[in-house]
Order: sequence, then C-alpha cells, then structure tokens
Amino acid sequence: MSSEVLTDAINGLAAIILLTSIVLVASKRMRSLVRTFMIQSLALGMFAAVVAYYTGADHIYIVAVLTIALKVFVIPYFLEYTIDKIHVKKEIEPLVGIPMSLLICAGLAFVGYYVSEPIIASGDAITKNCFAISLAVVLIGLFLMISRRKAMTEVIAILVIENGIFLGAISITYGMPLIVEIGVFFDVLVAALIMGIFAYKINRTFETLDTTFMRRLRD
Amino acid sequence: MIQTNFDVLFQSLICILFSGALVAVLLHKLGRPIAWISFAIAFIGSLLGILLSIDVILNDPITLGWSLGTFFGEWTLYLDQLSAFFLFMVCLVMASVSVYSFGYVGEYEGKYDTGLMGALLNLFFLSLVLVVSSNNAILFLISWESMSLVSFLLVMYEGRKEGVTNAGYLYLTMTHIGTAVMTAAFLLMAYYVGSYSFDDISAASGSLPSSVSSAAFLFLFIGLGTKAGMVPLHVWLPAAHPAAPSNISALMSGVMVKMALFMMVRSFFEFLGPVPSWWGLLVLLMGCISALLGVLYALKETDIKSTLAYSTVENMGIMFIGLGTAMVFQSYGLTSLSALALLATLFHALNHAIFKSLLFLGAGSVVHATHTRNMESMGGLAKPMPRTSVLMFVGLLSMAAIPPLGGFVSEWLLFQSLLQTTAVPDILVKMLMSVSIAILALTGALAVAMAVRLFGTTFLARPRTEQAKNAVESPKTMLWGMSFLAALCILLGVLSSWIIPYIDNVTESVLGVSIGSSVVDGLSISPESNDFATMAPLLIALLALIGIVMAWVLGHPKSGTERTSGTWDCGTPLSSRNEYTGTALSNPIVRVFGNIYRPQSEIRTESTSSPYIRKRLFYEVHFGDVFERRIYHPITILFTGIAKRMTVIQAGSIQAYLGYIFMMLVLLLVVFR
Repeated sequence: MSSEVLTDAINGLAAIILLTSIVLVASKRMRSLVRTFMIQSLALGMFAAVVAYYTGADHIYIVAVLTIALKVFVIPYFLEYTIDKIHVKKEIEPLVGIPMSLLICAGLAFVGYYVSEPIIASGDAITKNCFAISLAVVLIGLFLMISRRKAMTEVIAILVIENGIFLGAISITYGMPLIVEIGVFFDVLVAALIMGIFAYKINRTFETLDTTFMRRLRD
Repeated sequence: MIQTNFDVLFQSLICILFSGALVAVLLHKLGRPIAWISFAIAFIGSLLGILLSIDVILNDPITLGWSLGTFFGEWTLYLDQLSAFFLFMVCLVMASVSVYSFGYVGEYEGKYDTGLMGALLNLFFLSLVLVVSSNNAILFLISWESMSLVSFLLVMYEGRKEGVTNAGYLYLTMTHIGTAVMTAAFLLMAYYVGSYSFDDISAASGSLPSSVSSAAFLFLFIGLGTKAGMVPLHVWLPAAHPAAPSNISALMSGVMVKMALFMMVRSFFEFLGPVPSWWGLLVLLMGCISALLGVLYALKETDIKSTLAYSTVENMGIMFIGLGTAMVFQSYGLTSLSALALLATLFHALNHAIFKSLLFLGAGSVVHATHTRNMESMGGLAKPMPRTSVLMFVGLLSMAAIPPLGGFVSEWLLFQSLLQTTAVPDILVKMLMSVSIAILALTGALAVAMAVRLFGTTFLARPRTEQAKNAVESPKTMLWGMSFLAALCILLGVLSSWIIPYIDNVTESVLGVSIGSSVVDGLSISPESNDFATMAPLLIALLALIGIVMAWVLGHPKSGTERTSGTWDCGTPLSSRNEYTGTALSNPIVRVFGNIYRPQSEIRTESTSSPYIRKRLFYEVHFGDVFERRIYHPITILFTGIAKRMTVIQAGSIQAYLGYIFMMLVLLLVVFR
C-alpha cells in the first residue's frame, strides 16, 4: 500500500475513535454504551495494526491483537454480564443534558487540538495528528465520568480514558515496549473486573447504582 | 583513646534509648513490669548522658562516628560544649524523672497503657538527645518535630479525662505553627549559604545580607518562642503542661522549653553572625513581657500545675531578658559583659530545669494523693505528706530566688549583668535596660508571693476537703526522684562558685571569651568590675544555717514554761472554712493589677427571712485572658468561617470531585501547553 492510503486509514480510524467517544456521550442506554465502546476498541485495535504495518514493528501486532481480544470481547462481555446480573435500569440518567454535553465535547475537542499543537508541530511521526484526538478522547472520557450518575457509566468512562491514553501513546511514540503494554492491558482488565464487582456491591448496599446517593457517606 | 571511648558512649546512649523504646512498644501488653524496665533503661541512658556531657564540657567536642549522607547533606551528630550543657540538663532531669516514674506509673495501672508510657518516655529522651546533637538543619527539624509529636502523645496520655484532648490539640496546632516558621528560617539560611550543615551555616555567618539574617532571626524567634512559651504565643503552655502526666510535665516544663533557648543561643550568636542591637532589645522586651505576665497569671491560678506552668512562662521570660542583654552587649562589642549575661542565662536555665521539674514532680505527688489539681480543695498536706512538702519547699525557695539556693545565684548574676548597662554608649538603650531591671525586680517579688501562696494553700493550715484529709505519702521511688533534684537545688546554689567556671567553658565556646576567673574569686562571686558587688553563696548558707539554729534554740524555751491551749475562736469552732484561701491571698495583687487581670467578680447572697442573717455567700471571680480574647479568638473565628465556606466544595458527590480534577486538568493543559 502507498503511504497516502496508510495515512488516510490512520486518520480515518482516529476519527472513528473520536466519533465513537461523542456517540458514547450521546447514548441514552446502558447497552448501547457498551456496544459503542466495543466499536471504539475495534477501531483502536485496527489503528494499532495499521501502525504496526507502517512501521514494521512486530510487537505492535501483538498489542493490536490483545486490544481487540480484551476490549472488544472480554471486557464488554463481562460488563454486559454485570449489567444483566444486577438488573440495573437501562437508562443512563445524565446530570448534564445530552445537547449540552455534545456542545461541551466539541469544546473539549478544540481544547485537545489547542493543547497538542506545539507537540504536533515538533513531531515527525505519521500519526502525530492523532495526538490531538487522543487528548480529546481522554477529556471526553473524563467529562463522561463527571456528567453521568451510574457506577457502570463511570467504569466505561475510565475505559474510554484508557483508550485515549493508548491512542496517544501509539500516535507519538509508535507504541511503548511490549512488556509495558502487556502490563497496561493486565491493569485495565483487573480494573474493569474490580469496578464491576464494586458496582455490584454498591448496588447491593444502596439498592441503586446512582452514585449521587453516596453523598450519605459524607460526615 | 579516651576520645573514641566517649564516641562509643554517645553511640550506645542512642542505641540504648532506641532499644528501650522498641522493647516497650513490642511488649507493652505486659503492663507495669515492662514500664519499669523501660524506666530503668531511661535511667541508665541518663547516667551515660551525664558522663558524656561532663566529658564534653571539660574537654573537646565530639562527632558521632557514623553519619548519614542524604539529599540534604551529611547528617552527623555532634556535641560541643553548648549542646553538652543542655544534654547535661536533660539527663539530670531525666534521671530523677525515670526513678520517680517507677512509683508514679502505679496511678495509671489498669487505666491506661503503662508500657506505652515507658516507650514514649524513652522516645522523648531520644528526641531530646537528637535535638541538642543535630548538626544539620533538616535533621534538627526532624528531631524537633519528633520531640513535639512525642510530647503531644504524652500530653494526650490521659486522653479520656475531660479537657485533655483540647489541650493536646491546642499544643499540636501551636507547635506546628512554630515549626513551620522555624523551617522557613532554616530554609532561608540554607538557601543563602548553599548548605544545610550547621558547620557551613556558622562558617558563613557574617556573609548573609542583613535583611536576610534579620528575617531569619525574626522567624526563629517566633518559632522558637512558641515552644518556649513566650507571651503572646504562650497560650498552649498553661493548657498542655498541666494536662500531661506529672512526670511528663516535669520534662516538658523543665527541659523541653529549654531546647528553644538552646537553639536561640546557637542560632543568634553562631549562625546569624554579628548581632544588631535591635535584636537584643526585641528579645529583652518580649522577655520582660513574658516574665511579668507569666508571674501575674500564675498568681490567679488555683490549679497547682497551671500555676507552675505559668511560672515556666515567667522563668523563660527571665532567660530571654538575660539572652537579650547578652545580645545587646554583644552588639556593642562588650563581649565579656555579654558572656556574663549569657552565663547567668544558662545558669538560670539549669536552675529552672532542676527546680521546675522538682515542683512538677511534687505537684504530681500531691495530685496522686488527693486526686485533684485544685489547690483550694487541698490544704494541710504537710501533716500526711511531710517529705513531699519539705522537698516542694526547697523547690519553691529556689523558684522564689531565696539565698543561698540555685535560683538566687542565677538571678543575682542576671541582675548584676543588667546593672552593667552603664557601659553601653547609647543612652536610649541604657534607659530601656534600666526599665527591664525594674520589671525583673517586680517579677522576683511576685514570684515570692506565688511561692508563698502555692505552699501555704497546699500544705499549710487544715485540710479543706475529705480527699486532702485522707492523703497519704507517696511511694519511696517518687520521693527518691524528688530528693535528688532537691539536693541539686541546694548544691547548685551553695557550690555555685565551683560550678560557674564549668558553665563559663560553655559560654566561652559560644562567645570566645572566658570570664570564669574574674567572676569567681575563691568562695565569692562578683560581676565583671570587681568592686561592684560581691556575694559568697556558701557563706550565706552558713549564716542562714546559724540563723536557723539560733532561732530554733531561742524560740524553744525550756520545757515547763510552755502552755498549750486552744486558739481563741470568738465562740465559733474554727474549721477549715475559716482559712485564708489562695484566691484570697492573691486578691490584693489582683486588685492592684486590675488593668491586666480584668477580673469580673460577683457576690451573691442567699438570705433567710431576715435580711440581717445570711445563710450563704457566694463569691465568683473570672479572669478574662486578653490574648485569647483579642488575638486568638478573632483568628479562630476567621478560620472557622473560612472553613465553613470551604465546606461548600466538599459536596460529598463523586461527580463534583471528579469535576474539580477535570477542571484543574483542562486549566493546566491550556496554561502550560
């Protein structure tokens, strides 16, 4: 493949990742949230694969495979299992309305570009433009965490943040050493498991997953 | 060869104290036996320390064999004459406190963890040793902080008693403010010198810009003054010292507050270089205020330990007067006069350490016997507790500066050095110093009144309550601990002409001038100019002894001529209700100094049907603490107000906290992109 096609593929996948983040913010239902997260992770895995093809670094292939295995299959499956098990109400119940959230996300995307501009200007990697997107994804993930009530949404938000960080790492350094990546994957998996269990426990203690009820823990 | 031996002694002192604390912590469940073991370890440690410090005062400074290289430079332990002098003071008091604790700990048996008390005592001792021997600013601050924290824990030892927790937190807050200010001073010095080592700082003393050294001086004075109980930073002292167990109060009042004096002497003379005269005058002024207000507040207290705590404020004030005088003399180049004032200050510090710990231990015995700290409900304790009362009497004599005890000799020397102000060329300074002589004299007189009041209300007349009637003498170990200190009180006075040359070694190491030979001449002591005044404590002691014997002989006529009968009582049987109380005794002074005390008294009468016959009279008097009302109360209101406003952001909602992080992140990213 020519390098132009590769660049187009990389930029296109990155755009998908950003779009899916915004779709996450706009989702109204728990299950669609998990589905969108799957699509985002798939795009991320393919992004890693394309970068691996471009650079010829074999270990990035492994990273891509791991990304898809964990974030497209294992973690979403576990999340859906938890959602089923605790019979959580399927509505998202945002604290900030969806139109407003989308406006804020647009603003955050601008912030991402504004902040990353000096780094992009000095970089020479083919994927350097994706760094702005990765920052935007991290910020949108954080916003998702703040603006939604349910503990399950917070779990997905942190996974989105992780995706953003992963995208950033690959786009400016062509990926970290394999051992680090594997460690990060393991962390994410364990974090998702633990948070799923916590969500279950929170539900059992408070009869709800609405974290605003945890105000009672104050004092 | 001897040098290395003492080096080993120093190391073993530190190891012994550390292991004593460790053993007591590990085995604290065993209770009293383990407490006894740790007290014994503290006692052995203090004997080692006495040996070591005497050697250092007589010979050379020593550095501890090993040192620790850190980010802040080499951490070494170092003992020179000045630190050895304070180590000596620590160890003397510690020796008797550890013996005293053997008996005293019985009071806590079954109520509180006695093993823990032993562990904390050892740790406290260790931190005191480290404070005097640190040779690096950061190590010093760490030791200082651990001293404060361990003493905080000890203040909180009787945490289930009412009011103790408040006193403890007040102490913790004040001591942290002090440490924070001190840290600023040391960082400032280290920044300009480029090293945290005390050696480098004192080597570069002259080279600091005067604005920097003045700022460092002010910070140090405030920070150390907090620990020393300098008015108006003293508020914690009369609260925390009485709240602690009495053996700990003795250590805190006797020794810990002196650590501030130690660092002041060290830093003002050695680190901050040539002293401008306004530094000395500031120290002098604060000393005068502390001395006068300390003794005045002591006179209004009815709590025996609070009285002693305020007396500590007073005595620290007296030491500040001496230190300030030494600094003023030094700033005019009158080094030998400065050495005289410093010598008097250090000697007074030693005396105060001895008699104040004796008094606190005695107060502990009294509280132990009566289970109250209120002097008004004691009385007549001289009968059931004859030994304690005699020992307390000796301590009070020394506190009131009655010749020939230690307290007298040091205050006399201080007066003499203040009277040398004629040598200062500046007329304004001369006048200010004369005023401080008057204040010191007034303080001394009031201190006598306080001593009389304390002894009379507690030990004389008849018991006012059942508890006082049922009091019994303390266990032997407690008496031994106190007797040692009482003997020292007397010896420090009577043998002062032999002791002063050794203290002169210490001042020589600070100021570089030896005045021992001109101050002491055989038995007599005189200030710098020979024909100014002379005093021989030993001869005074002999005279006093002869006088007492004569009075006893003459006052006891031959048997047979005495007639024993009841006191004339106007037909009403005399009881303890007719006694003069402590409040009554100090009432004239309260009236005279009404502007300072601002007493609010209230008399209520409960009359019968006839207005001429009264059933009962109530008298209540409250003293407003000016500092609390004018300084601390507004500050507290301000801070609690701010804290209340700040609770709005502590919503308890996860989303809100995440939102703060998010906003901060975006802000930082945009600003520092």
